[in-house]
Amino acid sequence: MKKTLLSLGVMLVWAGSVFAGVGAETVTMPADVYKAILERLDSLQQRVNDLEQEKTVVQPTREQYDKLSQDVDNIYDTLDEVETKTLQDRINFGAELRTRVDNYSFDNMGTRTDLLTGMESTNDDGHDDNNWSNRFRLNMDAEISNSLSFHGRLAVYKNWGDSDYTESDLYVDINQAHRPGTTSLKLDRAYIDWIPQGIPVPLALTIGRHPSTEGPPFELKENRLRQSTYPALLIDLETDGIVGTIGLEQYTSLKNSAFRLAYGIGYHSDFDNSDSFSFLDDDEAGDSTMFATFLESEMPGLPASLAVLSYIHIDDVPSSFRGPNDDHGNPANVNLGDLDLYGIHLQVDDLKKSGFDLFVSWGASRSDPNGKFATYPGYGDMGLLTADGQDKKSGSSLYAGLRYKLPIEMLNHPKIGFEFNHGSKYWISMGNASNELYNKLATRGDVYEIYYIQPVSRHLFFRTGYTRINYDYTLSGYHTGQPVSTDAELENYYLLMDCRF
Amino acid sequence: MKYRFIGGMVIGFALFPAIFVLADGADLFARKCEFCHRIEGQAAPVNPADKAGIVWVKYFKRGRHPVDLGKILNDEELRSVVLYLQEHAADSDRPAMAAIPN
Repeated sequence: MKKTLLSLGVMLVWAGSVFAGVGAETVTMPADVYKAILERLDSLQQRVNDLEQEKTVVQPTREQYDKLSQDVDNIYDTLDEVETKTLQDRINFGAELRTRVDNYSFDNMGTRTDLLTGMESTNDDGHDDNNWSNRFRLNMDAEISNSLSFHGRLAVYKNWGDSDYTESDLYVDINQAHRPGTTSLKLDRAYIDWIPQGIPVPLALTIGRHPSTEGPPFELKENRLRQSTYPALLIDLETDGIVGTIGLEQYTSLKNSAFRLAYGIGYHSDFDNSDSFSFLDDDEAGDSTMFATFLESEMPGLPASLAVLSYIHIDDVPSSFRGPNDDHGNPANVNLGDLDLYGIHLQVDDLKKSGFDLFVSWGASRSDPNGKFATYPGYGDMGLLTADGQDKKSGSSLYAGLRYKLPIEMLNHPKIGFEFNHGSKYWISMGNASNELYNKLATRGDVYEIYYIQPVSRHLFFRTGYTRINYDYTLSGYHTGQPVSTDAELENYYLLMDCRF
Repeated sequence: MKYRFIGGMVIGFALFPAIFVLADGADLFARKCEFCHRIEGQAAPVNPADKAGIVWVKYFKRGRHPVDLGKILNDEELRSVVLYLQEHAADSDRPAMAAIPN
């Protein structure tokens, strides 16, 4: 339209020019005609102006267009920077904070030494309330490439008002991030999953400090997903090693089925801090190595289930996992012999959409002592599960329980759970990094626990619980010494808050 | 003592109505969402881990889903689905164990 009007105006002027050009240098026309032409031109000019005005409403001006174009370029540049920054931020971070209070009471227990040795005590009843602790964890993960990923966790775990380093044979490399101590960060786990490409079998290699704590079924009580490769009844400690996993799903059609081989070192024998060649073997107990194999799968017809068969062999178990140079006057570290562990773990989450999670776990231990023992002041001779290390001993433990998700939406579906475990006289496992400081799964006796989980949001929940332990034998959790009968009992009422993000 | 404790636990659990079936976001997602969001479906496949949890919440709060979900999910079902998406979102808790290759 605009073009048409402009053309018409131009033609009128041109026509006048032609008329002028044909006649003479000057134009002669009636004044009213000339006036009419000028009015017509003014009208056309006004129309053009109006159209220009309308055009600015629906279309940007050149300057606006240039500015918009520049803005888009800036946005692209910003996106490039964000994308580059994201790719440079190779590690994703997450964090956890747990604040917990424990209230212990005990009967026929006396001192800790009495519990270990079974000696009579005059101070056999008591309680220890209001034990507060904080546990902070910094979680890391990275997808390095399609076939390579990294996972890590640093942790600080401390009692309120206490940052002392705990000097104990029980607080060592295998549980340093799971026992309260100083405000220093501890390396809980740091490992890569590498799935080599171009080989005929689906193989994954997991190398580093492993996810080997709080394993199934502890995730039920911890209100989270699976946290370890291994069932907690057999292995619940921080381990360094290599695991090779062959995926079997394409061969068996069983979902998440796999065969695993594991190698690790449970104790490295060296001179610790007292020699310029501290990295060399101290010629005492020697290294303790671990070989293990696992077969796991989801059970047919039971989604979100898990079945694990386990076998673990531990070579050259030392008398102390801290080594000889701990300034405790301990005797030289002694290689006590070998240990074998076997286990079956079965677990079903949300059975038939009922809200029930069920599990049963069975474990067995078998010692193969070499006749050696260490003599500890106040404790006497301590061989592998005996005093003199002469006899092979077998033990077993049964661990079962359930959790129920309450159908109360206004309370964010709270959960209640009950667990029971029973260990025999010579039961021993590798649970030194248990979340419970009393390592309930190591108990030689009966343990009952009931708990209630109150979610507040997906990042925050509270848990309160009661645990009762009836010890039948002493030295629960110790691989050394001769267990003897005891009537010791331990109770704990606890409340904890977990915030994860 | 311990038998009384065990008995109490058994009775306590028996009193809870196990017959309740909870509103299952995973089931709704599989039945109703994946009807369209599947390979060669009307819409591209969707993985809860495609977005962070809070992004899923904002996505539905702002009505960004291109198809009106009112005819497919009622309010409670939509809430269950969003909860499921949040629980399995990109920033959600992940299982930790040695990897199993397929």
